[in-house]
Amino acid sequence: MLDSTQTPLKALIRRRKPGYSLEAPFYTSPEIFEADMDVIFGRHWIFVGVEPDVPEPGDAMTLDIGKTAVVIVRDDDNEVRAFHNVCRHRGARLVLDYKTTVGNLVCRYHSWTYGLDGKLLFAEHMGQGFDMGCHSLKPIHCRSLEGLIFICLSEEAPADFDVMAAKMAPYLAPHDLKNAKVAFEKDIIEPGNWKLTMENNRECYHCSGNHPELTVPLFAYGFGFAPEELDEHGRKEAEEYAKLVTTSHREWESCGFPSTMMEHLDDMVTGFRTERLPLAGDGESHTNDTKAACKKLLGKINDPKHGALHFWTQPNSWHHFMSDHAVVFSVLPLDAERSLLRTKWLVHKDAVEGVDYDIENLTAVWDATNDQDSTLVGYCQEGARSPAYEPGPYSPHTEMLVDKFCNWYIGRMAEHVGR
Amino acid sequence: MDALTPTPSPDPAALRLAGNLPEWNPEADDVLIVREIRDETADVKTFVLAPKEPCIFRYAPGQFLTLDLSINGEAINRCYTIASAPTRPHTLAITVKRVPGGPVSNFLHDHVKVGGELRAVGPMGDFSCFTQGTPSPTPRYLFLSGGSGITPLMSMARTFHDLGEPRDLVFVHAARSPDDIIFRSELEMMARNQRGSFRFAPVCEADGPFNPWHGLRGRLNLGLLNHIAPDFKEREIFVCGPSPFMAAVREMLKGAGFDMSRHHEESFDFAELAKAEPDVAADVSIAEAVEAVQDALAPPVASYTIEFAKQKRTIECRSDMFVLDAARRAGVRLPSSCSKGLCGTCKSKVVSGTVDMKHGGGIRQREIDAGMALLCCSKPTSDLVVDR
Ligand SMILES: Cc1cc2nc3c(=O)[nH]c(=O)nc-3n(C[C@H](O)[C@H](O)[C@H](O)COP(=O)(O)OP(=O)(O)OC[C@H]3O[C@@H](n4cnc5c(N)ncnc54)[C@H](O)[C@@H]3O)c2cc1C
Ligand code: FES
Ligand code: FES
Ligand SMILES: [Fe+2]
Repeated sequence: MLDSTQTPLKALIRRRKPGYSLEAPFYTSPEIFEADMDVIFGRHWIFVGVEPDVPEPGDAMTLDIGKTAVVIVRDDDNEVRAFHNVCRHRGARLVLDYKTTVGNLVCRYHSWTYGLDGKLLFAEHMGQGFDMGCHSLKPIHCRSLEGLIFICLSEEAPADFDVMAAKMAPYLAPHDLKNAKVAFEKDIIEPGNWKLTMENNRECYHCSGNHPELTVPLFAYGFGFAPEELDEHGRKEAEEYAKLVTTSHREWESCGFPSTMMEHLDDMVTGFRTERLPLAGDGESHTNDTKAACKKLLGKINDPKHGALHFWTQPNSWHHFMSDHAVVFSVLPLDAERSLLRTKWLVHKDAVEGVDYDIENLTAVWDATNDQDSTLVGYCQEGARSPAYEPGPYSPHTEMLVDKFCNWYIGRMAEHVGR
Repeated sequence: MDALTPTPSPDPAALRLAGNLPEWNPEADDVLIVREIRDETADVKTFVLAPKEPCIFRYAPGQFLTLDLSINGEAINRCYTIASAPTRPHTLAITVKRVPGGPVSNFLHDHVKVGGELRAVGPMGDFSCFTQGTPSPTPRYLFLSGGSGITPLMSMARTFHDLGEPRDLVFVHAARSPDDIIFRSELEMMARNQRGSFRFAPVCEADGPFNPWHGLRGRLNLGLLNHIAPDFKEREIFVCGPSPFMAAVREMLKGAGFDMSRHHEESFDFAELAKAEPDVAADVSIAEAVEAVQDALAPPVASYTIEFAKQKRTIECRSDMFVLDAARRAGVRLPSSCSKGLCGTCKSKVVSGTVDMKHGGGIRQREIDAGMALLCCSKPTSDLVVDR
């Protein structure tokens, strides 16, 4: 980490200009990437997956956050737990597959065997003085927020996770993610710094020009506009949209689906935002025909027209919960200029592929959108490498959330490395 | 050494002293060999027991074993305190007093010979000054024993003595006559060795026929106790003996205003033990039940054939044997590591047939449902075909 007062990082943090994109080293420097991994990904709650990734006791999933190898397991009490995926014998990677089912956690190398609680149960030939009690797997903080799994790698995890959990649970609960299944998942590597991937997600300024699929179910006005630039017709549409949001919120809330916007993107350590938004057209789902992609609806939902609940978290995730399916996204940095975007599409666990839903149709909108965004992120990354790049201004009407992402990032970095 | 030089075969005793001996595990092998029988008094004998395979015993001084005997074709269980000290872990000793007409104690005295075998489970119980009470950094103890109730207190005293960590300990033993004082010379020896800290105070009711008694006489009462240990109220008191003896001690201590939270007793009367220490009695009952079930299952030992499809080998396996062990004996190689059903290394597909498996978490129900089994902890219940 760059931590002496002469370091460019501190200077860069100090002179960050609010309302503007970050200076190039934040997107290109391997040293700042190291600092990001330590401060942001090492000490905050990171979204890593969903409970349906490990649906039954003994199911395990592995992932890497930077250099940290993690294994998530569901134990026999049905609790989801996370451990460092490193054998306490000679450090072999313990679980090798992305997803697998285990009895106990057994190291392939010399068969050291750990219970799903991380306790070392068996280690042969270690002699009498060997204390099994001192060689448990190292635990990692792990919390499920209505089925969304977050982990924190540091010893002291930010306590305001509970605040977020308490506020968000009522929004998420109706979709009952715990009783869903991962119908499809896809990893893509975006050719850009993780912050560019996040910034891209936090605005829809670029949507009408780039996302023909996504703009079918989404109202353009849902993502901000400069009122003075609208013509007569546009103003009317915007007004109607505003009315639709108000009436929809009232209706959804009255039948038990919290909908109003709640935003703590840069005023909490565990920053987040949520809102339930109406959908265009038939108004059912994020599909090309805006109709539900899955016949079986999620959780307690009995009407496909329940809009889309959006949930954004700092630093690395966003989620869309529709009545029929949910799409969850996590961003895992690979190096200064590459990021893994992992997308999972979830449907009711009893829904049958080919009968209740079709993978093509389910994934069409976001599969296309992710590819388009990946290209755009690549453009920014290339631009940031140019000596001509300098931070540019965010639109006050459509890029407020990007600014808040950067505020949060700079604030968290300053908190740990100093200003 | 030259490989051709004949190596003298070692004394079997040397093997027992080898380092890194495993701990005795009565679940794996409950048979103990009688190595020595000592006459303590006219109606008390000590049986020194050792495991068949070299291993060591671990227990808290004061714990007991449950012997599982078959006398005239009848299964019968009795508890005996381990009178020896865990500081000498290669053997165990129980010291048994005859009970007039009692089937077990008399069987031990009359029929068990050196070299004989006894089956036992344990150790059990929690009567031990090493685990009970809240001793101060320099605890002071008072042991009150009557008759064969001396055994748990002897184990504790022997342990302190062997550890070279004497405690301020007054050891009172109540006997009928000087001829009935169990372990008399050893207690006197310990008192000599630990002069100033260990005091041995035998109390006899009467003279022996050829052995007049000049020491403390009568039944234990407050006057006598005040004489032996005037500071008894500052001591942690451990009591074991016949029920009337222990009842009298309780009354005496309560009457003297003793803090009864520092009074600990062990009953040799199984019914009383069950009342006072239901947990301990439950342990005994479970151990007995397990033995009984094993006994009941033991006689008709079926044998099944096991075919290892890929290796094209077929072996025999007794129904009381794990498939992995049978395979190993027959020279069939199967991957394995823990042999305890923990690690899953031996997980194999059972193509046909059924097994009785007691695993340790190395396999999931889903895998069992899919026909997998851990061969290290599976006994056949029919002929098997294994995909190995
Ligand atoms: C915890 C404990 C430790 C003991 N330690 C010693 C010792 O170190 N030395 C010694 O001489 N005696 C000891 N005894 C007493 C001993 O177990 C026997 O009671 C005694 O040997 C008489 O057995 P018996 O069959 O000869 O006589 P019996 O008169 O037939 O049996 C004694 C009575 O105990 C009852 N009983 C039932 N289950 C058990 C059981 N599992 N264990 C014991 N009794 C049972 C019998 O039903 C019977 O009423 C101990 C008893 C207990 C409970
Ligand atoms: S490195 Fe895991 S058992 Fe040896
Ligand atoms: S060898 Fe470990 S489970 Fe069988
Ligand atoms: Fe986009």
